[in-house]
Amino acid sequence: MQEDLLDILCCPLDKHDLELEATERDEEEILTGTLTCTECGEAYPIEDGIPNLLPPDMREESPA
Amino acid sequence: MGVLEDKARARTFYKYLSQVYDRINPFIWNEEMRDEAISWLDIGPEDRVLDIGCGTGFATEGLLQHTERIYGLDQSPHQLSKAYQKFGKRGPVRFHKGDAERLPFADDTFDIVWSSGSIEYWPNPVTALRECRRVGKPGSTVLIVGPDYPNNTVFQKMADAIMLFYDEEEADRMFTEAGFEEFEHRIQQASANSPRAITTIATVPDR
Repeated sequence: MQEDLLDILCCPLDKHDLELEATERDEEEILTGTLTCTECGEAYPIEDGIPNLLPPDMREESPA
Repeated sequence: MGVLEDKARARTFYKYLSQVYDRINPFIWNEEMRDEAISWLDIGPEDRVLDIGCGTGFATEGLLQHTERIYGLDQSPHQLSKAYQKFGKRGPVRFHKGDAERLPFADDTFDIVWSSGSIEYWPNPVTALRECRRVGKPGSTVLIVGPDYPNNTVFQKMADAIMLFYDEEEADRMFTEAGFEEFEHRIQQASANSPRAITTIATVPDR
């Protein structure tokens, strides 16, 4: 994901802003990292450039 | 409400559906119908479009002909993996995993909110429609394509058991309950014997 996506993303649960912590990036994109809600603290992973903003009760625990 | 009420079941269903989806889909909702629905919208090249339940990217492909600011969202990694094959993970379409009923986007973000072939799997369609209204800019358009309730009793029984089908009256109720004031429904059908699609075009009201 590109960093400016943060302007329009929010926590799916309480709609508050997300804070980005990037662990891997190239010139254009954040490849892996975490988006954390500034209000409730729920963390959403960025996996291979795709933000996983599924609420925790819908995340798949095991790869299919 | 059908068996897909349970989200875990929906996930399993989609995992298997994604394997055949692009093959069965054209019988119900084909390119011609998709492009007709897109033509009812006035999409400009700068418009930011959200495709909810983008799945394998069938509608996304049509929308891309009008704008390159497309945001795809789906709950199913299996469906999405097909979309990645078509557009790449870092192409013009920005993909997100997410839930239609709990959208991860700020208020008033999109010029168009589109969703085709997804509402029938939403356990709480009104909740999701409210979310569409929230993320759409005031005055913007929300377009939802779903399966029209069948006339034939055999299909009705199947429809009631499996997933959400709705007629215009039910659509009126859902969109009104979700806070829309202005909307219209149009029926689309691939051929005389194929299931009909009900397409609703709604305007996001001022807050």
